[in-house]
Amino acid sequence: MVHDAPASAGSAVYNTPNYLNAEIGVRSWLLTRDHKRIAIMYLVLTTSAFALGGIFAMLIRIELLTPGPTIMSALTYNRMFTLHGVIMIFLFMVPAIPGIFGNFFLPLMLGAQDVAFPRLNLLSVYLYLTGAVIAVWGMIHGGADTGWTFYAPYSTTTPTQVVPILLGAFVVGFSSIVTGINFIVTTHTMRGPGLTWNRMPLFVWSIYATSVIQVLATPVLGMVLLLVAIEHAFGFGIFDPARGGDPVLFQHLFWFYSHPAVYIMVLPAMAVISEVVCAFARKNMFGYKAVAYSSLGIAFVGFFTWGHHLFTSGQSTFDAGIFGVLSMFVGIFTAIKVFNWTATLYQGAIKFTAPFAYVCGFLFFLVFGGMTGVALATVSLDVHWQDTYFVVAHFHFIMVGGTIMAFLAAIHYWWPKMFGRMYSEGWALVAACLIILGFNATFIPQFLLGNMGMPRRYYSYPAQFWPLNVASTAGASLLAFGFLLVLTYLLISLRHGKVAGPNPWGSRGFEWNTPSPPSALNFPVPPVFTHGPHDYTTGAETPPEAPGEPEHA
Amino acid sequence: MPNGEHQTALEPHHGAGRYVAVWVALCALTVGTLLASRLSLGPPWHLLVALAIAAAKAGLVALFFMHLWDQPGVNRLVFATSLVFVALLIGLVLLDSATRFPLANPPNERTLRFEPPSFETHVQPGEREQGEPGAIGRPPARE
Repeated sequence: MVHDAPASAGSAVYNTPNYLNAEIGVRSWLLTRDHKRIAIMYLVLTTSAFALGGIFAMLIRIELLTPGPTIMSALTYNRMFTLHGVIMIFLFMVPAIPGIFGNFFLPLMLGAQDVAFPRLNLLSVYLYLTGAVIAVWGMIHGGADTGWTFYAPYSTTTPTQVVPILLGAFVVGFSSIVTGINFIVTTHTMRGPGLTWNRMPLFVWSIYATSVIQVLATPVLGMVLLLVAIEHAFGFGIFDPARGGDPVLFQHLFWFYSHPAVYIMVLPAMAVISEVVCAFARKNMFGYKAVAYSSLGIAFVGFFTWGHHLFTSGQSTFDAGIFGVLSMFVGIFTAIKVFNWTATLYQGAIKFTAPFAYVCGFLFFLVFGGMTGVALATVSLDVHWQDTYFVVAHFHFIMVGGTIMAFLAAIHYWWPKMFGRMYSEGWALVAACLIILGFNATFIPQFLLGNMGMPRRYYSYPAQFWPLNVASTAGASLLAFGFLLVLTYLLISLRHGKVAGPNPWGSRGFEWNTPSPPSALNFPVPPVFTHGPHDYTTGAETPPEAPGEPEHA
Repeated sequence: MPNGEHQTALEPHHGAGRYVAVWVALCALTVGTLLASRLSLGPPWHLLVALAIAAAKAGLVALFFMHLWDQPGVNRLVFATSLVFVALLIGLVLLDSATRFPLANPPNERTLRFEPPSFETHVQPGEREQGEPGAIGRPPARE
C-alpha cells in the first residue's frame, strides 16, 4: 500500500514535482529518508494496526452481546481483549500522531528540510515494523491471555505465548525512543531564522513534551517487559511471590511507563487541537504561553501519578494518598488548555467543517473523561470503581476518545496538504456525527455498567446487565460503520478528489506556506519567521521569505 | 544557538591515553567489587559498598566515555534530570514498601531494614524477623 500512494495521487494533476512523485518505485519508498514519505509509511502501518485492533474490539463486543457464551470460548475471549489492548496502545495510539503528523509537519513548521537524523527516522519505521511482526507472530502462535498490562505473577506463569508479544512491545519501544530523540534534537537545532521558542507552533511544543516523556519513560517499560520475559522463560523469582518476588513491584515499574504513556497519547492529540482550533476559529491562540508551558507541565506531573493504578493492589495507604493528590494536579494543566481553547473560540469566525466537528468531540471526551479521572484519583471512590467497566469507560473516553478525535481532526485538516486533494465535506460531516455518537453510545453504557458493579474483562455476566451491553455493542457497530465511511471517502479522494491548492482552509499555520503536496525539499526558499503561528491580526497571509542562503537559528 | 555540526567541531579531542586510564580504573573497580564480596561485612554494608562501586563506574562511563566531562552545562543538566527521574522511581517504590502493611511484603526482602512507621501501632517493629529465613512463600509467624 505504501508504494501505491504516489501512483494514486496522480502527478499530472499537480503540475509540480512533489515528494510523492519525486522518485518512483518501491525501492525509493523502502529506503527513503524524506520525513514526509516516512510519515506516509507510518500512516499505512498504524492505520492497518488500528483496523486489526478494531476487528478484535468488535469481536469482544459481539461476544458480550449475550450474558453467556456467544461466539467464542472464554480463553479466546481473554486473548481477544489482550490483543485489542496491545495493538491499540503499542501499535496505534503511541506511534500514530507523532509518527504520522509529527514526522510530516514538525520540519515544515520549523522551516527545516528534514528532521535532524533522517536515517534514524527510517530506522524507527523498521523497528516499529519488526516489533509489530514479532507481536503478530506471537498472536498467531497461541496469543496471550494476560491483558495488555501483563500483570505478574499471572503473566510469568501463564501457559500462553506471552514472550513474543512482550518482545514485540519491547522492540516497538525502541522505535518510540528513536522518534523522541529525533524530534527533541530537531526542535533544538533546526529552527529556521527568526523562529524563537515563543514563536513555535503549539503543535511543536506538545510534540516536544511528548518526546521528552518517550525518552525518559520508555526504557523503564523495556526493562520491565524483559524482566517478565526472563521470569516466564527461566523461572527467576522477580515478581512471583511463590518464588520470593514482589508482584506490586511489577505494577510500580509497569505504570512508571504506562501512566506517562497516557500523555504520550494525549499530548500529541492536544497538539493537533491547538492547531485546528486556531485555523477554524480564525483567531490567535488565547494564552499561547499558558498552553505551551502546560504541555511541559503535563509531561512533568505525569511522572508523579503512576501509583493511582495500585490503590487496591497492596500498595501502602500512605503512598496511595500521595499519588491520589498528585494525580489531581494533571487536571489543573489540562483545564488550562481546555479553557484556553474555548476562549480562543470566543468571538472567532468559526467554520464548522469536519476537523472542527472532531475538535468539539475531543473537548467533550476530554472534559467528561478527565472529570471521571479526577473522581477515580480519589482513593475511597476508586475502591468501588477499581477494575469495573467504569474504569474501562473512563480511559476509553479520555485516552481513546481524545486520541481518535484528534487523529481524525488531523487527518481531515492536513489531508489536502499531504495529498493535495480534498475529500467530500458532506460525507466527512456525516462520518463525524456517526463516530461521535457511536463512541458515546458505546461507552456511556459502560460507565453505568461499571457503577452498577460489572467487573472488566469478564467473559459472562448476570442477566441484569444485558440491556446496557446490547446498547454498547450497538454503539460499537455505529462507530465501526463511521470509520469505514472515513476510509472509503479518503481513499476515493486520493484519485477523484478536487485539487486542494496550497491552502484551502486559509490557515496561517506555518506548514501551509508550502505547495500541496509539498516538494521533496519542502521550501523553494527557506522561510524567515517574523511572527508567531496563526497570526490572524496582521494583513500578511504568509510570512515573508528570505532571499539567498539563510542562517539557521 | 549553534547547530549540531558546529557543536561537534567545538569539542576538544583527546588522545587514547585518557580512555585507557578510565578503562584501567573500571577494571580495578570491578576487581574491587569481587574482593569486597569476600569480606565479612554486615548485611547492609555489602550492598552499599557494591552500589557505591557501581555508581563510581557508571560515573566514569558517563563523564569520559559519554563525553559529559567536556560538554556544556545544558547537556549535564539533561543527564542530571534523568537521574532525578530514576531517583523518583526508586524513591516512591521504596516509600511504598517501607510504609506498606508488612504482611504484603514478601519474606526476606528487608535488605535495607526499613521499618513500618510508628503510627502503625498494631504491628510491632521487628515482628517480621520471626519468619524463618528461606521460608519462601510462607507468611511470617504473627504474635
